[in-house]
Amino acid sequence: MTAEMQFDNYLTNLRLHLGPLTITEREEIVREIGAHIRDSAEQSHASLETVLARLGPADTLAAQYRDGLLITKASRSFSPLRGTLRMATQGFFGVLVFFVGLMGYAFGGGMVITALLKPILPANTGVWLDGNGHLQSVGMLFPPPGAPAHLVQGLWYIPAALIVGSFTLLFTTWAIRNSLRISQRWRSKL
Amino acid sequence: MAALASLWNGRLYGLEIIRFLETHSQLALAEGTIYPILNRLKVEGQLTSEWVEAEAGHPRKYYALTDAGRQRLHQMARAWVSFSSGLTNLLEPVMNHQEISQ
Repeated sequence: MTAEMQFDNYLTNLRLHLGPLTITEREEIVREIGAHIRDSAEQSHASLETVLARLGPADTLAAQYRDGLLITKASRSFSPLRGTLRMATQGFFGVLVFFVGLMGYAFGGGMVITALLKPILPANTGVWLDGNGHLQSVGMLFPPPGAPAHLVQGLWYIPAALIVGSFTLLFTTWAIRNSLRISQRWRSKL
Repeated sequence: MAALASLWNGRLYGLEIIRFLETHSQLALAEGTIYPILNRLKVEGQLTSEWVEAEAGHPRKYYALTDAGRQRLHQMARAWVSFSSGLTNLLEPVMNHQEISQ
């Protein structure tokens, strides 16, 4: 294989593995790495194999670009959970953030859904107290708990669940975005 | 921080940044490591970039610090100096002991 073919193959491979990025981002990266390969070979008088070996495999390089951009974008997004999924592959902190985020969204989303379904399924949705007046269950249950448990009556549940659910969703988003920024700061210490 | 610091005195392109870090800080980076970092710093608004035609026959992508990047680097440098001076204090007895032994 000629040096020019190796060069083209590397950039084609890189472009292929940068798939999830926009065309503009992808072409900008490929152009820059192409310039780097030419410069590095010229300035160090090294063979193309050596220059490519120093850059590392194209798929590994592409993965570093993808991870960095995904986490950066997620830290500014209103739905940053996808970024935490990528972060979860990079260490314990990421796994923790992902699962806490998942639980936050599940709880918040669940509360909002039950608030919306309360007028349709009033007997199955709300807050149940046990025989001693202690909290037994919250949300939606099929079938609803039997006696001595009882449903706290009233449509107050709708605004309460909407407020708690919305607050939980917003807080979870805020917490995930901050965790992603912290993880970026750790990575930026280089 | 090192990538931002290399641009303190003016714009550089990727390979120049790698060489600058090698000669000024003994940081020998894998060449593929620096480009994703530069890309991310640019997305974060800490760097700007522009393509400049070069004598080499192909354009090079030059990076420069933005005001936000300068500010962030200043904060990071202050934190680093404070951290490293604390560590130096911690290691002082160790170094003194070594000097006595020698």
